[in-house]
Amino acid sequence: MTIIGQKNASQANGAKHRGAPSLALIAAGLFTLAAAALPVAYLIRRALQIDSELLRTVLFRAKTLEIFITTISLVLAVVAFATLIGISIAWALSNVDLPGLALLRALVILPVAIPSYVFTYSWLSLGFLPNGFLAAVVVLTLTTTPYVTLAALAAFRRIDGAQLDVAQTLGLNQLESFFRVTFPQIRNAVGAGSLIVALYVLSDFGAVSLLGVDTFTRAIQNTYQGSFDRSSAALLALILVAISSLVIYFEISFRQRSTLLKSSVRITRRLPALRTLKSRAWALSAILLYILVALLTPLLVLLQRFFSRITPIDLTELLIASLSTISVSLLGALIAMVLAIPVALLAVRETWIGRWSERAVLLVHALPGIVMGLALVSFGSEFPLIYQTTGLLAFAYSILFLARSVGSIRTSFAKVPINLTEIASTLGQTKSRIFYRVTLPLAAPGVLTGTLLVFLSAMKELPATLMLRPTGFETLATEIWNNTAIFRFSEAAPYALLLVAIAAIPTFLISRPDRDSERGELQ
Amino acid sequence: MTNSRLKALISLLSALFLTASLTACAGGENEDASLTIYSGRSQEFIEPFFAAFTEATGIELDVRYGDSAALAAQILEEGDNSPADLFLSQDAGALGAVAGAKLLASLDQSLLERVASNYRAPSKDWVAITGRARVLAYAPDRLAALPTSIDELIAENWKGRLAIAPTNSSFQAFITAMIQTRGEAATETWLRALQKNSPKLYEKNSLIVQAIDAGDVDAGLVNHYYTWEVAEELGREINVKNSFFSPEDLGNLVNVSGAGILRTSKQQSLASELIAFLLSDEEQARFVVDTHEYSIVLPELRPEGLPALNEIKAPRVDLANLSDLKRTQALLIKVGLL
Repeated sequence: MTIIGQKNASQANGAKHRGAPSLALIAAGLFTLAAAALPVAYLIRRALQIDSELLRTVLFRAKTLEIFITTISLVLAVVAFATLIGISIAWALSNVDLPGLALLRALVILPVAIPSYVFTYSWLSLGFLPNGFLAAVVVLTLTTTPYVTLAALAAFRRIDGAQLDVAQTLGLNQLESFFRVTFPQIRNAVGAGSLIVALYVLSDFGAVSLLGVDTFTRAIQNTYQGSFDRSSAALLALILVAISSLVIYFEISFRQRSTLLKSSVRITRRLPALRTLKSRAWALSAILLYILVALLTPLLVLLQRFFSRITPIDLTELLIASLSTISVSLLGALIAMVLAIPVALLAVRETWIGRWSERAVLLVHALPGIVMGLALVSFGSEFPLIYQTTGLLAFAYSILFLARSVGSIRTSFAKVPINLTEIASTLGQTKSRIFYRVTLPLAAPGVLTGTLLVFLSAMKELPATLMLRPTGFETLATEIWNNTAIFRFSEAAPYALLLVAIAAIPTFLISRPDRDSERGELQ
Repeated sequence: MTNSRLKALISLLSALFLTASLTACAGGENEDASLTIYSGRSQEFIEPFFAAFTEATGIELDVRYGDSAALAAQILEEGDNSPADLFLSQDAGALGAVAGAKLLASLDQSLLERVASNYRAPSKDWVAITGRARVLAYAPDRLAALPTSIDELIAENWKGRLAIAPTNSSFQAFITAMIQTRGEAATETWLRALQKNSPKLYEKNSLIVQAIDAGDVDAGLVNHYYTWEVAEELGREINVKNSFFSPEDLGNLVNVSGAGILRTSKQQSLASELIAFLLSDEEQARFVVDTHEYSIVLPELRPEGLPALNEIKAPRVDLANLSDLKRTQALLIKVGLL
């Protein structure tokens, strides 16, 4: 049965009932906070070296205002569209009886595996995507929608159909029950997904540079490139940090302090599936349209390029690049998991360390890869033993993409019913035993999803990879870059296709229903 | 997740972790017989030269490929801790930035004397390897009369027909040259007139050449070798040709790729050997044929179908001056191109 708890009061209660965090947990949280603060500290140090005249030129020129307006508009537009499309796709996948559901779920998530540079180039090469702001909105919306879809899919699956029955008995129509019963239960998850979209847009370089849209990330890159002026670039990056703080603040105030609490993990009744022909046809064609433009089109362009290339494929190089990509990205994802769990636990307990480490992690996520790369170069080159090792590169990935896992991990810990841990506690179990036997198994699907998302993101990361990899270490992303930098798009195609193929495996795992829903029974 | 599956996952991850850390360790060994190179020149074009060097001398090269500007920024961040022995750059600006921070060592006189005085740093710490001429790439069927000067490009009849890449270092070097020869005010006037003609802006030279071939624009200011690059990528003849302006016109500027040795390198003589190799007559001739660049040691050689370096009569400019680059960017920002 379901108990609808009193908002706020019960959540505050919940936070208290979860108990005070242990010292180890606090130490782990502080470590993550420090790691995330590293690039920001670097930026402040560099920005302080700027001379006052240059400071005025950078801060008070008309162009900076223009860049500011462009950046904000781009973020707002992409977040709005991606959220709308993401919720719609997730709704359709959860509520309509569709054929090949497992495949569809994986295919709508798979676009995250295509680097935005490759995605944009594919569309540009077809010839009907114009340059400029609108094109950037389209491209970034298509590539970021899966972050919302994924979050919303998980949230929809946690909704108890029985509640909708109750709502209907009480006289609410479909729309009213969506806004009064369904939406409150998905808003936090969707908010977290939309936040990732916003931070993605802030830090994207591939799409905006090809389409000629002046955002802060592009301006930062151009400042390094044109004048090698690290102080001005750092200043621009700090403005970017300020914008991301605003975005994060909005998301936090949008977040509801509690959702409906349940006395049991068991979902009384799954959502009823819509079976009418009309609804099925509409839902299927909308989803297929999205898959066509966001996944099939770039893939077909890549395939066409693949078959039109002149040089034969070097299988050894492909294999080495794949293994390098997989190992270093997995290592990064693993570190991110180890770092994210304490942050999520601390955030669920509503401690200040949890709150601030989560915010710091989100803030870092909006930094362009080149800034993160240079910060770690500046720090890492002091230690020749770790500098330019796969370990440091993996660490960079974990910090850069921690934000993508912390949200889903926090949500899944928050959903662990308090009474279960209380029962375990009354049975005389120790805290750590409760964590390993009760909390972690229940939160495992969310933890895995978050970890795999870091893996997917790390696989296609480029600017930090170029700086931090061991010399001579080639990943699929660097091989793609090696070729696209000299316009060899066809030679890049095998690597890009392989990247998508490898990414398909974790994507399929993430999108499987038993990965992100709570288990019906305890094991 | 069941326990057994969790265990399987954990063992898989630890196996990968081990592999990764072993790879990491392997990178640190046998540093003595090898040189570490930060190369802003792309792997595709420069690797055959590196391979020839290793074959000739037995010296192993560890090459880190990247964007010239990003590598320069990386070296600046590394400072005295840089593991690099030699920095090979696509353009003079990136070398100038590293030289300006006093991170490059003085080169042997014998190396410097291989090239004419305008193709080496006045500070004697880097030297040009190849030349890259600025040209007007155009579609022969849509451009009846070829302009003889860059000043014709700002005339009314060019409205909407010209492509430029203002964020690209090669275009910025061209504007730097203009500021050095004509002064800032005259350059601003030229840029504003250009801006008024609403030129199409692209991120890269290669995209400009592709746009000319596709019929989006009629001509563009690019480096000369992109016509080959784009034709090779597309696997067919393209409808784009290169045109030079009249001798000594600013539009004929010659950019350079170049090399410098890190002051902190413990392999100074090996690094010098590599630069000497790249500047040898044989390799210089190979650059002209293989990468379609200009040799600055042998100015009489010409990439297929183009005039020789000594016939172009490139304007003389100081490509290394970093403060000028900042001025260029400030000006481009002022007129709204950046």
